[in-house]
Amino acid sequence: MKKILISGLLILSFAVSGFALPQPQARVKQMVDSILGVLQNPGMSPAEKKAQVSGRVQEYLNMQSMSRRTLGSYWKDATEDQRQRFSDLFVKVLEGTYLNRIGDYSGGTVKYLKQRVKDDKAIVDTAIISAELEIPVQYKMIYRDGSWQVFDIVIEGVSLIKNYRSSYGEIIRRDGYEGLLALMEKKVLAMEGQ
Amino acid sequence: MLLRIFTLLFAGYFVLVGSVFATARQIENYNNQGIMTIASSEQTDDLSFDDFEADFGDDFSAGTAVAEKLISDPFQPFNRGVFWFNDKLYFYAFKPIAKGYRFIFPRPVRVSVGNFFSNLATPIRAGNALLQLKFRDFSTEIYRFVINTTFGIAGLFDPAESVAGVEKSVEDFGQTLGHFGVGHGFYLVLPIVGPSSLRDGTGVFVDSFADPFRYANLETREFIGVKFLDAETRLSLDRDTYEGIVQDSIDPYLFIRAAYAQRRLAQVGEDTYNINIFEGPLFDGDFFNPFDWFGF
Repeated sequence: MKKILISGLLILSFAVSGFALPQPQARVKQMVDSILGVLQNPGMSPAEKKAQVSGRVQEYLNMQSMSRRTLGSYWKDATEDQRQRFSDLFVKVLEGTYLNRIGDYSGGTVKYLKQRVKDDKAIVDTAIISAELEIPVQYKMIYRDGSWQVFDIVIEGVSLIKNYRSSYGEIIRRDGYEGLLALMEKKVLAMEGQ
Repeated sequence: MLLRIFTLLFAGYFVLVGSVFATARQIENYNNQGIMTIASSEQTDDLSFDDFEADFGDDFSAGTAVAEKLISDPFQPFNRGVFWFNDKLYFYAFKPIAKGYRFIFPRPVRVSVGNFFSNLATPIRAGNALLQLKFRDFSTEIYRFVINTTFGIAGLFDPAESVAGVEKSVEDFGQTLGHFGVGHGFYLVLPIVGPSSLRDGTGVFVDSFADPFRYANLETREFIGVKFLDAETRLSLDRDTYEGIVQDSIDPYLFIRAAYAQRRLAQVGEDTYNINIFEGPLFDGDFFNPFDWFGF
């Protein structure tokens, strides 16, 4: 009896989520497959790959949400102009950080472990599996404008957004908002110069 | 055949511990209704209703979360000094040596040296698992030690993971203290060792008493040489993680501090997955993994 009840509950929850919203995990898989498709393409130059990945990833990320969460309480105090400048610079910092690593890619597959959905929020657990490493990667997602969008990536328990929020918050306390933007600008220039 | 006998020896113990854990997990799951969990059908049948809110942290508190202080750092000027010192030490001494080491010895050799050191550090991991009453992790460590010391030729190879898919569980005394609710105290950058805290630095000191090298009657010079080889082996296997952080972040000190605090927090409240990375008929179904036989 108990078994029937539980399986009924599971089927129901499956049906509800499957019907109402597209699956977040499928969305992550789409993103990962699309990136791997570029990375594993031997006919492309690193520069081409960079441009391709950058374009493809952006439709899956909610940059506005990422910027807002990175600034945390400082978002409220910033002017519209400052917010915009921050978002633009933040995208470039992330791109500079992760796209410059594209050359390091040397194979590896992704395993999808599980997804958890609650209302318009979801957590998708995956693991990157390469020759001798296995890195747990968690995607935190939010349902906006008709699709699931990633707003944070947690690698081995380290949240990308929390890391930026913590360090940027301290820089804002030390140098002020304009100080942070100036430092970011400098960093972006240095990254582009490479 | 021998492998089977070894694993069967542990079997009785596993059954006992396994049933206790399985029940505890089930109770936890049923208590947590209202959250839908859909496990993807092929990869896992794990239908645990984990604490969703805890995993999300304060991420959904309407974006007005207080600026996060992940770890307190009252001695920042001092820490930054040591950070600077370690940075120079890394770029001018440790890294060049690691590069030479990398050039002379092929990767498999260095991996084996790393395995050897890791195997000898089993008392630290097993002891701390026991102190935290994590009997499953304790059993995995004992199992790994027995298998790797025998079949893995004194720990040079890691058949416990590569064949049986039983992974190392990283435990240290800092984590043990954290497990029982002890906080970091404050952030501390230690010379050579790097990011640490009052709690974790104490942990490193306590763990050193469970280090077999301490009791190997080595002269101080030899002891330092052994530790140096251990560190250089790890560095030679690393893919320039530190260089990347220094290059990409506005303030590497703050970035590493935040990552350290988060990583340690995750380790203290760890929920480990155990995935068999080998595919193929022989390895399918975790045939060699005793922990899978009893539904851990």
